Amino acid sequence: MSKRSSLAVLVVSTVAIAAAYGSAFLPDGPPRWAPWALAMGTAAIMVASMALGAARRGGVGRLALPFAGVFLVLAGGFAAALLLPPTDPRDPTLWLGLPPAAAVVMYGIGLLPLFFLPLAYALTFDEMTLGEADLARVRDAARALAPGASHAEPARESARAAVEAAP
Amino acid sequence: MTALALFQTADLPPLTQPVIVAVAVVYFAIVAAIGAWATRRTRSASDFFVAGEGIGLLALTLAAMSATLSGFAFIGGPGLVYGTGLGAMFLLLPAAVTSSMGAWMLAKRMRLLGEVRGLLTVPDAIGARYRSPLAQGLSAVAILLAVIGYMATNILALGLVIDAIFGTGLGWGIWLGMGIVLAYSVAGGILAGVYTDVFQGSLMAVASVLVFLFTLKAGGGMDGLSRTLLAADPEFLGPWGKMGPMAALSLFFVFGMGSLGQPHVVHKFYMLKDPRKLKWYPLLMTSALLVTMLLYFGVGVAVKALVVEGRMEPLVRPDDATPLFLLRYTPVLLAALVFSGVAAAIMSTVNSFMNIGAAAVTHDIPVSLGRRVGNELLWGRISTVVISVLAAALAQASGTLVAFLGIFGWGLFASTLVPALAIGLNWEGATREGAVASISVGLFVTLVFETLAYFRVYSFPTGVSVAGAALVLSILVFFGVSWLTRKGAGAVIDPDVKLVMEV
Repeated sequence: MSKRSSLAVLVVSTVAIAAAYGSAFLPDGPPRWAPWALAMGTAAIMVASMALGAARRGGVGRLALPFAGVFLVLAGGFAAALLLPPTDPRDPTLWLGLPPAAAVVMYGIGLLPLFFLPLAYALTFDEMTLGEADLARVRDAARALAPGASHAEPARESARAAVEAAP
Repeated sequence: MTALALFQTADLPPLTQPVIVAVAVVYFAIVAAIGAWATRRTRSASDFFVAGEGIGLLALTLAAMSATLSGFAFIGGPGLVYGTGLGAMFLLLPAAVTSSMGAWMLAKRMRLLGEVRGLLTVPDAIGARYRSPLAQGLSAVAILLAVIGYMATNILALGLVIDAIFGTGLGWGIWLGMGIVLAYSVAGGILAGVYTDVFQGSLMAVASVLVFLFTLKAGGGMDGLSRTLLAADPEFLGPWGKMGPMAALSLFFVFGMGSLGQPHVVHKFYMLKDPRKLKWYPLLMTSALLVTMLLYFGVGVAVKALVVEGRMEPLVRPDDATPLFLLRYTPVLLAALVFSGVAAAIMSTVNSFMNIGAAAVTHDIPVSLGRRVGNELLWGRISTVVISVLAAALAQASGTLVAFLGIFGWGLFASTLVPALAIGLNWEGATREGAVASISVGLFVTLVFETLAYFRVYSFPTGVSVAGAALVLSILVFFGVSWLTRKGAGAVIDPDVKLVMEV
């Protein structure tokens, strides 16, 4: 997923959320599609935001998998909550102590991402977020542009060169 | 209704017992000692506002967690679960994702911008990104407005807790609480705040886990709690609780995306000594948040089950859930720790707000007007006192007014900062016109519609919150205006800022 496609998803999902909100102003209240638009829009906007922050010139690379995973967890969890029938109170089925729909929401949406999303961040940190070379390049550029550095314009050129060199 | 429940504005049950008072006294003494220690290390504006960019990852995590969770996580939150069922969890569920999202979108870029430019504040970053004093000034005004409202609600909550523990009366509770936070904030700045947060955050996490275990014991485990509740009130354990899908999902959206615009948390990224330590930030922060939220869920569900079974009388106010459960079902020492933890949570949030409010007054607004304050450390301390006294006076003046001020605080942060800061730092196509327009729309929509709702002139339909609508509109305006003014957008970004955005 590139920055451009992340931005496109961000815009589309924001429009979906706006449409869901807008539909609540209709005389008969929100139509049946409104919670779906809000649910899918919310799942998409959060994943697109992560992808926008993570994407470099080559896209999100290996992070595509965890991002797809978190979208499935969020969108799937919301869909399950919207679709699963209520539990029979006389003979309740419980998953880890909760009715199925509540368990999907609590353990799926609220807990499952903890087991892979922060790990994906940590395991790709050097390669995708901030390696030693990235840090050195930023610090070199900062030194070149610092007040008192001689010849401001060449310094700006050097910073521009550093931008060009960024992966 | 949901927004109103976010703030503690009603009396708590009396807690004046020797053990609770003694633990609270010890707790305040430890906070004072940390404040004194930090004061000796605060020598410059950088120390005061960004802890001299010298804190470690664990301190950053616990400080960010403590600033995120106000007393609401311990008092108002369980009350909200008690009143509305599992729908109230949609306010916290985004925490499984938000720390990672914030790390990818903001942590690295804020930390590097802080280093490259010597930035002190969140509006500084907006000013640097767009080379726009207007955008910086507008965001500072939004932060200042939200901070005063937020501080007033939190100081009122602190006054209620102190009154419940020491029996001081609400007025004295407000001023005593404010005085304690003010003392260590003015003297030790954010450095004192961060290290008291480390202590407070640890306390909150331990207390939360222990209380959760007691809720399971009282209710006969998760199975027992669920069977009791399903028999009496199946809707309570439905996925949306008593809220309905639109309202619950709206909470998820606002508290998920809105987390990217909370300056008291985002600002802390400047303080990290080694940016490469951010590697483990999402794992630590997400774990810490989820652990601390066990109490929020456990107490709300357990108290409802105990009421259904007739083992507790129905609550007069939902906010009594935590105090009554602790006093009846946990050892008094644990109850004392949690009550100190509530005070801790509120104080750490107030301290963070004091700091960013003071920075808006002494740094951002003057900079946006083309001026610099001579001695930012001195004026930072003075404005901290002024803002705090103003907020405490507001807290004492009117409970309902305070609740109103607090409501728009959170939404104002989200709608004014998420597009311009979080998206803007990751998209070169964003323009200063887009940033100014989105901040203005966020300010306008939040202030106008929250005011109309407060005076009962006009309210949005069920399921649509002002915070959510303002956030959506400000994002759309940000994209729309940036697209209309896109010509040469990337060219006006300074090379060092561009490098930070590219890396």
